Amino acid sequence: LPPPAARLPYVPQVSPMALLGKVTATTFALERPRCVFDGHADASDAVWLAVAFANASAAFRNPQCRAEVPPYKELLAARSYMTLETAAAAYSCSAPSPAALRVGGDTACGDQGTQDPCNGPLPSPGPYRVKFLLMGCGGPKAETRWSEPILLRTALSPSTIEAAPARPGSALVVTASILASLGAALAAAVLGALGVRGSLCHQGLGTGAFTRSSYRTHHIPPA
Amino acid sequence: MAKSDDCVHILQGLLVFGNVVIGMCGIALTAECIYVVSNPHGAYPLLKATENSDIHAAAWIGIFVGLALFALSILGIIAVIKASRTLLLVYIILMLITFAFEMASSITAATHQDSLTPNVFMKQMLERYQKSEPNNNSDNELTKTWDELMRQNHCCGVNGPSDWQEYTSAFRSTHSDADYPWPRACCVLDAKGLPVNLDGCKLGVSGYYNSNGCYDAISGPVNAHAWGVAWFGFAILCWTFCVLLGTMFYWSGIEY
Repeated sequence: LPPPAARLPYVPQVSPMALLGKVTATTFALERPRCVFDGHADASDAVWLAVAFANASAAFRNPQCRAEVPPYKELLAARSYMTLETAAAAYSCSAPSPAALRVGGDTACGDQGTQDPCNGPLPSPGPYRVKFLLMGCGGPKAETRWSEPILLRTALSPSTIEAAPARPGSALVVTASILASLGAALAAAVLGALGVRGSLCHQGLGTGAFTRSSYRTHHIPPA
Repeated sequence: MAKSDDCVHILQGLLVFGNVVIGMCGIALTAECIYVVSNPHGAYPLLKATENSDIHAAAWIGIFVGLALFALSILGIIAVIKASRTLLLVYIILMLITFAFEMASSITAATHQDSLTPNVFMKQMLERYQKSEPNNNSDNELTKTWDELMRQNHCCGVNGPSDWQEYTSAFRSTHSDADYPWPRACCVLDAKGLPVNLDGCKLGVSGYYNSNGCYDAISGPVNAHAWGVAWFGFAILCWTFCVLLGTMFYWSGIEY
C-alpha cells in the first residue's frame, strides 16, 4: 500500500498582487507556490491543481495514478476536477516565477479534439476550493491544504443602472431663479415706466436740455 | 440747468457704452455658437446616441440671439443719441424678447450639462458596444467611437475596466469572459495595434492595460461647449439687464 500523501502546511490563495483581473466571472488567479514542494518532489513528479466546489471538497479523493485524474469536462458531474499539470521543478525555489497562475484561461478547452486535462473556464461562480497535489509515478506524494472558498464575480444586468438624469444641480436652480427674477424685474420696470409716463405728462416736470420748452400759462382773470 | 445737463450726458454716455458692449458680446456669442454647432468633438456620436441634443438647440438659439443683440445695440445707440421715445420703446420691447430667448438658451445649455451623468454613457456603452446584430448605423458608429476614444485617450470603459466585469453587456454575449475580461482596446497596444502583453492585459497587470475610465475624456469637451453657451449667455443677460434698466429710466425722463 503506498504511503498516504504528506500534508504540507501551505494554503493556496488568490494572488495577493494588485491585479484587476484576478477574479473574474469564469477565471481566477492563484498565488504561485514557490518552495512548497522542495524536499518532497523528484525530477519526474508533476504538481496538479485540484479544483472542487466548496461543498464537495471534503468528499474529494486523491487519484492514485494519472489515469484516474478527474478531467475538466466531468466538473459538473463529479463536482471537482484537476488541471494545471506542471513539472515540480517549475515551483522550486530557484525557478523564475511569472505573475500568477490563472485558472480557467484556456477557452479552447472542451472543444472537440482538445485533450483533457485542460484549464477551461469555470462554468459557475462557485464558490470553489483548490489544493495542490504532488503526483509521482506511484500516486500522490504530497498535498497542500484546501484553500478558503473562492467566489467568482456575478455580473449585474445593465438595466439595473439608473440612467435617469440627476436632479438639477444647485447652480442651475440658482441661475434659473436669478434669470427669472431679472426678467420679471424688467417686465415690471417697463410697466412702471409706461405708467409713470402717463403721470409725468400731467405733471409736466422738465428735466433739462432734452425737453422741449414747456409753457406755463397762468390764467389771469380780467381785473 | 447745467447740473441736470451733465447728468443727462453722463446717462447717455453710459447707455451708449453699455450698448457697445452688448453689441460686441452679441458678435462673440454668435461666433461661439457657430463654433459649437459646426465643430462636434470626437465623442459627438455618443451624445447623439443619448438623444439629448439640447446643447445644439441652445447653440442655434444663441446664434440668432447674438445677431439680434448686435443689431439692437446699434438701434439703441441711435435711439439714445437722438433721444427719440418711439425708437427707445421699440428698442426696449425687442430687447425684452431677445432677453427671453437668451434666457431659454442659457438654461437649456446648463440643464444639458447637468444631465450627462456617467451612468447615461455606461448604460449606452454596455447595451450597444459591439452589439452583434447592429440595428442601425448608430450602433456601428458607437462601437467605432468607443474604440477610438479608448485607444487615443488610453482609457477603458466609463469608470474603468471593471465596468465590463460588474455588468453583463452586448460585448459579453459575443466575447467570453475568460478571453476578454474587457475589450482589446483597453489593453496597452503597440504600434501595430496589437496588445503588448495579452496575458498581462487579461490578468490586469498594471502597465499592460488602461486603468482609467473614459468619462473625463467625454465630459471634458461636452462641458466646455455647454459652459461656453450657458454661462456666457448668463453674463450677457446680467449686463443687458442693467443697460435696459438704465434705458427705461432714460426713456421715462424724456418729454414729448
